Amino acid sequence: MTNIRIVDLEKRFGDVKALADVNVSVGKGEFFTLLGPSGCGKTTLLRIIAGFYRQEKGEVWLGDERVDDVPAHRRDTGMVFQNYAVFPHMTVFENVAYGLRVRKLPKADIERRVAASLRTVHLEGYEKRTPDQLSGGQQQRVGLARAMVIEPRVLLFDEPLSNLDAKLRVEMRDEIRAVQKQLGITTVYVTHDQEEALVISDRIAVVSGGRIQQVGAPWDVYKDPANLFVASFVGKVNLLDAELGAQAGPGLRWAKAGALELMVPAPADFAGTAVKIAFRPEDAFEDLDAGTRNTLNGRVEGSSFLGTVASIDIDCAGTRLVIERHRPRAGDIPAPGAETHFALAPEALMLFDAATGARLRSAGGEA
Amino acid sequence: MNTRGTGTRRFDIWTLVTLGGFALVLIFLIYPLADVFQYSFTDKETGALSLANWAEFLSRKYYLKAFIHSMFVAVSTTGLCLLFGIPLAFFTTRYRIRGSALLNTVAVLALLSPPFIGAYSWVTMLGRNGFLRVALASAGIDLPPIYGPIGIILADSLQYFPFVSLMTAGALTTIDRSLEEASENLGASSARTFFRVTLPLVLPSVTGGALISFMMSLSNFGTPMIIGGNYLVLPTLAYNLFTSEIAERPGMASTVSLILMLCATGVIALQQWASSRRKYASMLVNRPVRKSLSGAASCLAHLVCYAIVGLAALPLAVVVFFSFRNTNGPVFTPGFSLESYRMIFFDVPKTVANSFLYSLVAVVLIALVGTLLGFIVARRRTMAVKVLDPLLMVPYIVPGTVLGIGYIVAFNRKPFFLVGTATIMIMTYFIRRLPYSVRSAASILKQIDPALEEAGINLGSAPGRTFRTVTLPLMKAGIVSGAIMSWVTSMNELSASILLYVGRTMTMPIKVYLSVLDGFFGTASAMSTILLAVTGIALYLVNRWAGKSGTSAVVAS
Repeated sequence: MTNIRIVDLEKRFGDVKALADVNVSVGKGEFFTLLGPSGCGKTTLLRIIAGFYRQEKGEVWLGDERVDDVPAHRRDTGMVFQNYAVFPHMTVFENVAYGLRVRKLPKADIERRVAASLRTVHLEGYEKRTPDQLSGGQQQRVGLARAMVIEPRVLLFDEPLSNLDAKLRVEMRDEIRAVQKQLGITTVYVTHDQEEALVISDRIAVVSGGRIQQVGAPWDVYKDPANLFVASFVGKVNLLDAELGAQAGPGLRWAKAGALELMVPAPADFAGTAVKIAFRPEDAFEDLDAGTRNTLNGRVEGSSFLGTVASIDIDCAGTRLVIERHRPRAGDIPAPGAETHFALAPEALMLFDAATGARLRSAGGEA
Repeated sequence: MNTRGTGTRRFDIWTLVTLGGFALVLIFLIYPLADVFQYSFTDKETGALSLANWAEFLSRKYYLKAFIHSMFVAVSTTGLCLLFGIPLAFFTTRYRIRGSALLNTVAVLALLSPPFIGAYSWVTMLGRNGFLRVALASAGIDLPPIYGPIGIILADSLQYFPFVSLMTAGALTTIDRSLEEASENLGASSARTFFRVTLPLVLPSVTGGALISFMMSLSNFGTPMIIGGNYLVLPTLAYNLFTSEIAERPGMASTVSLILMLCATGVIALQQWASSRRKYASMLVNRPVRKSLSGAASCLAHLVCYAIVGLAALPLAVVVFFSFRNTNGPVFTPGFSLESYRMIFFDVPKTVANSFLYSLVAVVLIALVGTLLGFIVARRRTMAVKVLDPLLMVPYIVPGTVLGIGYIVAFNRKPFFLVGTATIMIMTYFIRRLPYSVRSAASILKQIDPALEEAGINLGSAPGRTFRTVTLPLMKAGIVSGAIMSWVTSMNELSASILLYVGRTMTMPIKVYLSVLDGFFGTASAMSTILLAVTGIALYLVNRWAGKSGTSAVVAS
């Protein structure tokens, strides 16, 4: 097993800085995801690891080897491509055997390993098929089998599921995860789908504007975002512009957001007053019993029913907010125009510096 | 990502290919063309820089007339090409025309036939002793011999109109039917729909076809040479100035060459501008359908189509017919025989062998080098490649006559003594066809996902091996049909090789040309028929190999 280290990396395309100040360390056998919107540099970073791009600055280490000057074909990485990149002029067997033949393995070994690999991706019996006889999902399985059969130092995935339909995507996602755990190969996975990233990863690096915004376990990235970008990119979030006001209790302060007055956790080191308050729709509660909670009243604007969740748009004194009701029962979803109310615990409110977007953590630590 | 392939690179096999490309362009293009420039801009006696040649060209009626002739011929040819091409395209794509596949094939055959067969055939029909003219004269209809502008325009337009018809037909079949239906739904008559919706949509393709016709006609050498009589156009003028035994004028010939190139460049620029200005993204949801016509309308549509293609096929048929006629020296005698073929194979077997040998060697080179250079053009956009790319396109605007003149001058002295060798014939074919080959390889590559190559490399295969095991097999069909097309055009090359051949390196087109001049129509016919048969077989092979796309490859090149 191999770990990956990326040190002070910078990549430019002409005058455009595609990546800057990238420092990442992926542990042995870890499933590491690069998550970000399109154009954020995540694929560029993956391609630098694969050797398709050369960085302008910084180092890439695979285990103890610094690979900056190792050409792509000697890097021993197995890549799974977004559009499958299954060789259309070869059979499934030939596709999977390609890397083994390059490595000049004996014929018997090749046959054994291809068979085992195809079994892992549930494609036994498909050896003689050509790619045009396969569905998209099957082609991507061939791509996966082809990458892992060479037992590379690291597996690289470039948005491998984005061309598949929704149901297959979930299925393949679980399969990739299972295969990776089974083989224990260090993996870097690129996606723009935050749900996919949360489900599949050991750790996630959220990338935006060519910079790593936060690295952490799915739980941390979702529950404890480092900045405004991470909070709004991973999961849904309500955002309020607010001014910090007086002390509201132990560790609490008042914040004025338009016509709303909210109790928020007092930030530890923050001299200014302009903040952004963020909370997730699922953190709004129906019950109003506890006195330490913010209570908000509003008028229902609309709602959508999503099965396990109902999402409700509410106009709270001129501010439009979205909350969720889980496992809604009949009558739980108020009609448009109805008056409603909900409660927010101060701990559920995350504060960000309005100017920089940096997270303002409270003195008490994590929310 | 659109930034694919712009990373910092190491030295690999493709660096070598780039260097090779530069060497090729430098020796076989820049070096000879530089000589043409030099000749044009220096004084013959003093060797000093001089504009005398240009002043003379602009002041002497003799030269200016050739320029005007060229323009007149090219413009008229283009007009006729549009007149023939558009109705043919419209009728065959929009209405059920019986045998429209056959019509297409014959049109393409006419297009690819050796560039002087038409001219020569019209001479045998309507020349001074043309059989048709003689027959008509005995019936009381006196036609003047066809030599001169009329003959050139007739032969040229009947050869080149398929550029217009094929490109227009291509565009007509990719217009979404809904657009025309929308027009009719909004109350427009079908005539109004054609002129206000259909025609504007296919206009870029029509212009494209017209400009190619213009350019081919402008740089055509064989046709005006055979049927032009005393009517000089720029290519024949340049040829005469260069080869004239009385007063050889290489400086003037070079000047005429440059003017010809200037015109060609202008046309290309116009084409680029026209194609960039109007591009309609086509969302092809509903393919156009062919309507059935009935009664008089159907008769008329069939008549138009068959008349146009029949007229184009007529000279070809005449040539084939005469190749089987009995001959006695230059005179045709009654009855049929294989005498003319016997003459070829016994008297000039070397000529036939030369044609096949040179063109086949050239095609191997073209396919090989074109594919490698096409790869760097499509996949390795380094600074060097960005410089090389337009240079590789230069032969496209250099008429054969001009290239021939450049080669004679440049390769008849140290360090390259090549004139009179097989090498220079092969290099001529090679260079003239290279732009098409590079373009076609590059466009094939654009349809191959670069991720496939990356997958190969990622799996441990070095760039060279990846090209061999992944890229090349995927390009194969396209390369082969491109190579067949190159073979046909090389077999039929006349305008440059006529300047570069010696007795030993004579080829079939040259022999045809000389036979026509000497009045040996039997030999010329038999030789032309062989060339025509080769063209037909090649066309068949391309269609077999690449299916429908083969025909479009012909048009694209």
